[in-house]
Amino acid sequence: MSGSEKLNRVVELLDQRGLDGLIIYSSGATMGPKYLYYFSEVKPLGTHNAAVVTKAGDVTLLVQPQWDTLRVSEKGWIKNIIGSSNFLKDLDDVLLKSKITGSMGIVDSTAIPADVYSVIADRAKVELADDLIEKVALERVSEEIELARKTAKIADTGFKACLENVRVGIREWEILAEIEYAMRSAGADDCFNLMSSGKHNHAGHAPRERKLREGDILIFEISAICGLYIQLCRTVVLGEPSKIVLEKYALLVQALEESLKEIRPGSPSALIAKAQNRVLSAAGYGEYCRPPYMAKRGHFSNIVYHAPDRNLDEHVKTILTSGQVVIVHPNQYIPETGYLMCGETILVTDTGFERLSETEAKVYVKEV
Amino acid sequence: METMQPTLIRGRDVWDPTHMPKAEFLERVSKIQNEMKKENIGVLLVYGKSFESGNICYVGNTVPRTAGGGTVIIIPQQGEVALIYGGSSREVFATKQITWIDEVIPSSRFAEDCVNYLKEKNLLSSTIGTVACKRLMPYAQWKVIREGTKQCKMVDADHILTGMRMVKSKRECDQIRRASRIINHVLGSIPDTTLKNMNEEFLEAVLDKEARMAGAEDIRILIAKPKTGEWALRPPEDAQITRGDSLIIHLAASFERYWSEGIRTFVAESASLTQPKLEDARALYKRITQGIKSGKTASQCYKEAVDELQKSKVDYIPTYGLGQGVGLDLQEAPMLTGEDSTMLKEDMLLTLHLAIKDADLGAIMLGNTIYLAKDGAELLTKES
Repeated sequence: MSGSEKLNRVVELLDQRGLDGLIIYSSGATMGPKYLYYFSEVKPLGTHNAAVVTKAGDVTLLVQPQWDTLRVSEKGWIKNIIGSSNFLKDLDDVLLKSKITGSMGIVDSTAIPADVYSVIADRAKVELADDLIEKVALERVSEEIELARKTAKIADTGFKACLENVRVGIREWEILAEIEYAMRSAGADDCFNLMSSGKHNHAGHAPRERKLREGDILIFEISAICGLYIQLCRTVVLGEPSKIVLEKYALLVQALEESLKEIRPGSPSALIAKAQNRVLSAAGYGEYCRPPYMAKRGHFSNIVYHAPDRNLDEHVKTILTSGQVVIVHPNQYIPETGYLMCGETILVTDTGFERLSETEAKVYVKEV
Repeated sequence: METMQPTLIRGRDVWDPTHMPKAEFLERVSKIQNEMKKENIGVLLVYGKSFESGNICYVGNTVPRTAGGGTVIIIPQQGEVALIYGGSSREVFATKQITWIDEVIPSSRFAEDCVNYLKEKNLLSSTIGTVACKRLMPYAQWKVIREGTKQCKMVDADHILTGMRMVKSKRECDQIRRASRIINHVLGSIPDTTLKNMNEEFLEAVLDKEARMAGAEDIRILIAKPKTGEWALRPPEDAQITRGDSLIIHLAASFERYWSEGIRTFVAESASLTQPKLEDARALYKRITQGIKSGKTASQCYKEAVDELQKSKVDYIPTYGLGQGVGLDLQEAPMLTGEDSTMLKEDMLLTLHLAIKDADLGAIMLGNTIYLAKDGAELLTKES
């Protein structure tokens, strides 16, 4: 969908909702839906950015820092760009010039700081309108699907680098540096990698000083980011793995495979978590499928998706549609082994699903 | 310099108490509580996000590592300090590894839990001070806090921490020196590196790894090709670097929360980057640096720098400013502008940028992290 097509669709939806305008805000990088990135087609750099759209179809993009306007004008489709050194004042000026006095929709509403909200509320009646861009983004484009496939290869590359470099004596932060070097060299815009090492892990975390030892169980959550996230969760054992680790990991693989059977257009996404929890509960780990041990069984991962359903659990309402990108991870704390990671990213297709990762779901063993 | 924020702060996540002991944090809290007493503030809410975490780091040594994540530290005028972060209980252990604060509370209903904590601990005092709350906290959360504390007077208390953070302790200066060593190491390694792929993103990958292997916690890289018509600093792209290109590299890295930055200008060869001599620009930079001294205001230093630039008859590019304070945030007070009347003092740390047009290279940029000693400015990221 081109920029002008997105704008036309937004204007149509503004009209249907009786809104005089829309502010699509971004405070930069986000773990949630990337509304402004989707709409403007440029990754925001600074901590305050916003597109102001009027019901007449005029659009102004406020960009911070001021000097980033050149990049934004070269990469995106919006022509009217204002580099801002005083965001609150500049936003107020744009609202004044746009003559929006009725109802104004705000998008990325959960990120808008109190100061920015006050400026908007002083000029117009504010309505939350995240769903408006979510509706536009539902019309998935082939480019996003191709991007998902490309990004999945980068995550695979990261895990391959992990296997090549992991060894006794390397520190946690050194192994992640190797992984991220491989991922960035392969074209990742950004990485979101967590890990843990030890005989009994409790959760993935940012890398620490710890040096890896023989017998360690290593868990990795490797996410490549190129607009959308593609995640790969895998477990590596440094040296001979114990029988119990192999046995319990097979349970996670079974949970993964069972949950994938629930993925097809029209299927409730909550069934993914239910299938995983069913397998794990049947094996006696029902109480470990709940907090504080576990909560979510994956995430939605398109550039924009229905924000309240970001995390996959048994209660999400989203019905799966073709083109959705879903991270599915039956990662599990198991008292006998500690936390084990097993998960990957799945594309919902017209007929079912496609596994985007080429890295097999199994325990990886690195000889020492 | 503002930079592209990462989705996750990915590097070495360590608190080394030999570098920054608990006693230093307790001393800071004690000073804050004294200021609170003077201003009749019963409790202080210090808020921070991943992209501006200096205040919560200053108090609690903690930084929300994921984009958008928020943390509040509650400081009563007397009594225990508490930290509430938006996240799951599984993260408590990791959070406690880097903070001295014992009361660490995970929360999925951040604002509600904040209000409940204030109520439970009888901290709904007549006056609540807020630091960075209105500026950074999402409106919906702020509204819940405001409604839950409506019987209290809310006062903006940013100035308490801003004032304290500008002048660094000896240990803070040492941390910034450590971060500066990473900058020196990485920028210094560039001319010796053979690039198997003359691509901006590959160069970024190489620099990122070099910094990370030197112990960096967070790394930011901007790039510019000033020979190519209109240009500006920007994140590296999937674009080739061609022999003869001039290349400006801005590198910032943090070490155990503390930042340093450096900017250098290079020329591309077939598989490497070389550093041109730039003798005039360096001499000019040195003269400007010598003018930055404690006992002068930030605006006075700025005006003297502008005078020096005019005297030198260079074509100055003001786009990126002259510089500002650096420490727990990459950009903090004071600002080297014509409007900032802050008196510069010994033990302040600043970044100083110079951007000028150049007939051969398009433009030259030089930038360093400087320490204000008693007898003048010391470059911490001095080129070898």
